[in-house]
Amino acid sequence: MSFSYLSCHECDTISRVTDPHREGRFKCPNCKNLLYKNRAGMVEKVFAYNLAALILFAVTNYFPFLSFHVVGNTSHANFTTSIYYLFQDEQYMMGMAILTTTILVPLTRILLYIALFGPLYFGHLPSYATSVLKWLEALLPWGMLDVFLIGVLVSMVKLVKMGTIIPGTSLWAFMIMVFVMAAAQVAFEPHAIWEKIGEQKRKRNKKVVV
Amino acid sequence: MRGIEQGLSSCSVCHQMVRVDPSEKRGIAICPRCNSEVHPRIPNSIQQTWALVLASIAFYIPANLLPMMYVHTFAGVESDTIISGVIYFMKTGSYLIAFVIFIASIIVPMIKLFILIFLLISVQKRSTLRQNERVRLYRLTEIIGRWSMVDVYVVAVMVALVHFGGLTEIKPGLGADFFLLVVIVTMFAAMRFDSRLIWDTKG
Repeated sequence: MSFSYLSCHECDTISRVTDPHREGRFKCPNCKNLLYKNRAGMVEKVFAYNLAALILFAVTNYFPFLSFHVVGNTSHANFTTSIYYLFQDEQYMMGMAILTTTILVPLTRILLYIALFGPLYFGHLPSYATSVLKWLEALLPWGMLDVFLIGVLVSMVKLVKMGTIIPGTSLWAFMIMVFVMAAAQVAFEPHAIWEKIGEQKRKRNKKVVV
Repeated sequence: MRGIEQGLSSCSVCHQMVRVDPSEKRGIAICPRCNSEVHPRIPNSIQQTWALVLASIAFYIPANLLPMMYVHTFAGVESDTIISGVIYFMKTGSYLIAFVIFIASIIVPMIKLFILIFLLISVQKRSTLRQNERVRLYRLTEIIGRWSMVDVYVVAVMVALVHFGGLTEIKPGLGADFFLLVVIVTMFAAMRFDSRLIWDTKG
C-alpha cells in the first residue's frame, strides 16, 4: 500500500498517511487538524458553484437591494449605495474597507476560481495555477459577504421599527450567492491541484536533466 | 515526531514537506513546488503578535467611547455608541437583538484579545498544559475574527437606507473607523501567531 509523509502546519507533527489518494478526510493524529480531504467531483463542483456565483454577483449589483419607506418618504439603495455615500462624505477608510470586503475581494476570488477551474474542468492544468492558488488562499479571510449578510439582517431589524423595509431582487440574489460561495469554499481542496503541479514540475525537471 | 527536530517543514502555502537546512541561520528554504519561502516557524511571530494585540487594545477604547454613527433629523443630531445601541434595545424590549449586538460587538472582540494574550503568555512560559485545547482556542479566534465586521456593515447599511435628502440622514462616526481598525488589526494578529509554537516547549 502506498503512503506519504506530511507535517501538520498547525502543530508540526509528522504523520505517515497510508493510501493518500483514497477518498476521505485526513487528520493530524496529534492535534486533529484537517490535513486535507479527497472528494470525488471537486473540480466540477467548484467550477459550477463559481459560475453560479458570478451570475448572482451580477444580479446583486444590478437590481435594487433595499428600499426604506418612512411617512411619505422613500429611499432606495443598491448593493453599492453605502460605498457611494461614504466616499461622498469623505469617509475613505470605511468606504475602502466595504468596497474591498464586499466587492473587490469576492469578485476577484470568483474570477480566480473560474480562471483556474475552467481549464481544470477540461483536463488542462494552466501555467498560472500556482499564483492563482496563492492568491485564493491569501484573499480568503478578506472576502466578507457572509458577515455582510448578517449586517444587513441586523440593520433591517433595527430599521423595521422606524418604517417599512421593501426587499429588492438584489437582496434575494445576494442571499443565495452567500450560500453558493460557502458551498464552493467547502468543496474546494487545493491538495490535489498542488500534487498535479508538483508532478508536472518533476516531469519538466527530468526532461532538462536528460 | 516533529518536523523541526527532523529539519523538515511544511510549506505554509502548499503544505509540501521541505527540507530546511538547520545550519542556515535564518532557517529559510524555497519550496520546490510553489517557490514560496519556507520558514520552520513564522519569523518574529511572538513579538509581532504582541505588537498587533497591543495596537488593537489601543483602538478598542475609542471604538467603544466615540459614536459609531450620527443620526441627523430636523430635531437635531443624535449620536450612537455601541453600548447606547444595546441599552436602546434593552429599553424597548428587544432583548434578543440587544443580546446579539452585545455578544457580537463587545464580547467577541474582547474574547479574541484575551485568547491571543493567553496564548502568547503560555507560549512564552513554554507551558506543556492542554496543548490540544489551546490550539482549538487559536482556531476559534481565527474563525470568529471576521464576524466583528458586522457592526461596521450595520453602520454602512444604515447610511445607505436612512438618506432622505438632508432631512433625515445617518452619518458614520469616528468610532466606526476605530472599530474597523480593531477588526483588521486583530485579524492580522491572529494570522501572525504561529500555533506550532504551542508545542515548542523544550529549551
